[in-house]
Amino acid sequence: MPVLSLLKRAAPVVLALAVTMPLGAQTAPKVAFTESTLANGLRVIIAEDHAAPVYSIVVHYKVGSRNEREGRTGFAHLFEHMMFKGSENVGPGEHFLLVFNNGGSMNGTTNKDRTVYFETLPSNQIDLGIFLEADRMRSLAITKDNLDNQRNAVQEERRLGVDNQPYGRTFEAVDELAYDNRAYEHSVIGSMTDLNAASVDDVASFFRMYYAPNNAVLAIVGDVDAKSTLEKVKKAFGLIPSQPTPPSVDMTEPVQKAERRQVIEDPLARLTRVDMVFKAPARGTPDDDAVRVLATVLGGGQSSRLYQQIVREQQLSPAVSASISGSIGPDLFRVMAMVAPGKTPEAVEAAVYAEIGKVASGPVADWEVEKARNLAKRSVVGGLTSSLTRAILLADYAAAEGDPGRINGRIDRIARVTAADVQRVARTYLTPENRTVVTTVPKAAAAPKGGQ
Amino acid sequence: MNARTRWSAVLALVLAAAVAALVAQAPPVQQAPPAQPPPPSAAIVVKGKAPVSDRILQVKLPRPMEADLPNGIHLMVLEDRRAPQVAVNFIVRGAGGYFDPADHIGVAQFTAMMLREGTATRTSQQIAEQLERMAATLGAGAGMASEDATISAGALTEYIDPVLDLTADVVLNPSFPDAELARFKARTRAALMQQRSMPALLAQERFMAVLAGDHPAGRVLPAVASLDKTTRESLAAFHKARYVPDHVIVAIAGDISMADAMRKIQARFGAWPKAGVPAPVSADPPALTAPGVFLVARPNAVQTNLLVGVQAIKRTDPDYFTLTVLNKIVGGGPTGRLFRHLREEKGYTYGAYSNLSAPAYRGLWMANTDVRTEVTGAALTDLIEELRQVRDVPVPQKEFDDARRSLVAAFALDLENPMSAVGNAVTRYRYGLPADYWDRYASRIMAVTPADVQAAAKQYFDSGRVQIVAVGNGDAIAPGLKKFGTVQVFDTDGKKIGEK
Repeated sequence: MPVLSLLKRAAPVVLALAVTMPLGAQTAPKVAFTESTLANGLRVIIAEDHAAPVYSIVVHYKVGSRNEREGRTGFAHLFEHMMFKGSENVGPGEHFLLVFNNGGSMNGTTNKDRTVYFETLPSNQIDLGIFLEADRMRSLAITKDNLDNQRNAVQEERRLGVDNQPYGRTFEAVDELAYDNRAYEHSVIGSMTDLNAASVDDVASFFRMYYAPNNAVLAIVGDVDAKSTLEKVKKAFGLIPSQPTPPSVDMTEPVQKAERRQVIEDPLARLTRVDMVFKAPARGTPDDDAVRVLATVLGGGQSSRLYQQIVREQQLSPAVSASISGSIGPDLFRVMAMVAPGKTPEAVEAAVYAEIGKVASGPVADWEVEKARNLAKRSVVGGLTSSLTRAILLADYAAAEGDPGRINGRIDRIARVTAADVQRVARTYLTPENRTVVTTVPKAAAAPKGGQ
Repeated sequence: MNARTRWSAVLALVLAAAVAALVAQAPPVQQAPPAQPPPPSAAIVVKGKAPVSDRILQVKLPRPMEADLPNGIHLMVLEDRRAPQVAVNFIVRGAGGYFDPADHIGVAQFTAMMLREGTATRTSQQIAEQLERMAATLGAGAGMASEDATISAGALTEYIDPVLDLTADVVLNPSFPDAELARFKARTRAALMQQRSMPALLAQERFMAVLAGDHPAGRVLPAVASLDKTTRESLAAFHKARYVPDHVIVAIAGDISMADAMRKIQARFGAWPKAGVPAPVSADPPALTAPGVFLVARPNAVQTNLLVGVQAIKRTDPDYFTLTVLNKIVGGGPTGRLFRHLREEKGYTYGAYSNLSAPAYRGLWMANTDVRTEVTGAALTDLIEELRQVRDVPVPQKEFDDARRSLVAAFALDLENPMSAVGNAVTRYRYGLPADYWDRYASRIMAVTPADVQAAAKQYFDSGRVQIVAVGNGDAIAPGLKKFGTVQVFDTDGKKIGEK
């Protein structure tokens, strides 16, 4: 859920990599960085890369929709929008002007676990990025006008992404049915009712509790001098007071004992779709890497088992996917398949389960494991080559796994996964009693419902 | 080989002085005061306290080396050793949907999409496995209104040779096997059905049909009947006629030298016989002579997709720089008037933007926003008012300077990405622009004046040229559309179903 859509320059698609060792064919590149923690608890990571006259600044706040209280779904994301409506020294909307008019790009994004803000700017504007992030962490402007305005924008964002799209409700229905714990059970975008209920007091208390330096990680990557940049950061952020540690969220998810199923009707859809999700281990837990390789074996590209069998051979579906999102709490392994005209969702489901069964009973080919290993490497090489991607990942590893250095171990961790591991996690997690199935069927267009 | 210098002249990016206070005030109104709200400054308050550097940033724009191979392939290589990966784009001029034969529209797209589905020596499955075990990507596509087909490959440096082998195989020797074609047709039929449920695509389809009529520039989606009649022979014939080396640009960026790239491309594509004829050329769509209002009735919609636009210019038009600045002011990002007014001030939408599309033929300028059903008429009125404002009222100097600076300073960010520098070079080559085009780009933008922008707005945004397309709940939004003219109504299958 970003604050802006359609930003040409917001997508990290860049190739600039600071490496600390020569690049041999079998050598994984390493990201060098320095790390420190200010007295107020703000964790600061800086990585120099002088390849282009550009830097990126990222502030990662450890708050997402999982932290929302009952009756306030969608609030973390609504709050994200408020962060662009001004602070003591920045007027409403001035943030956009300052960044874009000086050749930069920016955005914010919220998911279930965290909220991230970023700017990429020409390197002579290092003071500007630090100032903008520090000023809003220190002194966000919280007004009813700003809240009402952004409430409208967010409600349109919901209509755009959910209510006016085919299968828009499906994603919400899946999570609501699969999760018992409410932390992950509700959507990031939230309900219209809860968005309407959000008050200025909510914004103020959320800001105080979660937008404190001790609940954030700051990362700066690019054409900067690490030492002087750290001094600038200390000066800008150092006096922002820390706050009590936010209350921890109970993420416990009871063990699922039986399959859950639901059929929903969608008046905007034309094809039936089946979502099959399985409870899966959280990010960073021992089985996590093997589950990621399993997602590649089942759903990675046209060579994947689901594509080859269900799309190409049996022609049951025009599109199928398998993925794991990497949540810090109990995750879902998601398989989605559209149902081809003339085919049934039952046939699609049976074919998916047959492919899962084949992985579980083996064998998994060497090339399939090699593919996952190379994908990890290509992702690290390609993804870490923009200052923005590197800043986002460094902050993310620091916040979610406690150590930004984990960025450098990803390839090795995936490389340690064996074919036997993949089979084992398929047998462990992709079981009937651990699964939730939501079938979305087109509903014949009724008479138009009028304005709403 | 005609290798040019790697680095262009130094481009001085003037990053102007700190932002002064832009007080919320309406610009002077020369004609009748607007019936609608003043320009969207009310939602913006500039305190002017943020530190902005006015230092001049010296930026070198990297320029790829270029060479023509004996069979006419134009090779462009930007060596960039920062990451162990290589990206390769094949641009096949004349192989895009624009050049579909009139009796088989869509064949260019089908040909491109079938390239990976089998060659003389490899099956579809073998191609997928061999590529993906290396985590390489190889995609082929041809837009329905595009002049080109594009094949894009990407790989870790350690796999570049086998990936180029596979790329050459699918480009040169596709066999379009009957069994794979039957599968392709079945899944594409389903995808086309699904696409009819997506409002943005329906809006695009209607808008392009309005702007270009039956001209190839108006194509968005292929017809199912066209897919049905596609055969292995029709694909092979299109491939044979259109995939010829003398119409190909190969653009490479990454961990590879020009010499090495040339050797690798020549070894795999050197024997490809040239056609010896020029690439086909496009023509302008006929000029529109009247405004129009079009509604795609989408039952159960809770939002309206609005597209408002005009026919504009081709890439080589002298007005290109002026229209680029005009577009930036009106809707080029969240600093544009549309975003500030429709989202930040009114709360009608999540976003409101505009785009200038200037290809080899007469292109278009288009504003788009998605608004909730109830405010459709009000949002459209405000959007149309923005066009009147920029026609009738000179852009305030401060806003004008910000727009130009934003366009020029953004070049710095492009320097992170070698493919973007190569993309610029391809544009220059593709449209026959001068060799120093990108070196002079910033100064051309800085030379545009507020008077130029207003004159362009008067010419291009003339109310007699403006086309309006809305996709949404027909009964609810038709009244708000009618004040702009007779509304022609279509269903989601593209059939005209009436007028209001």
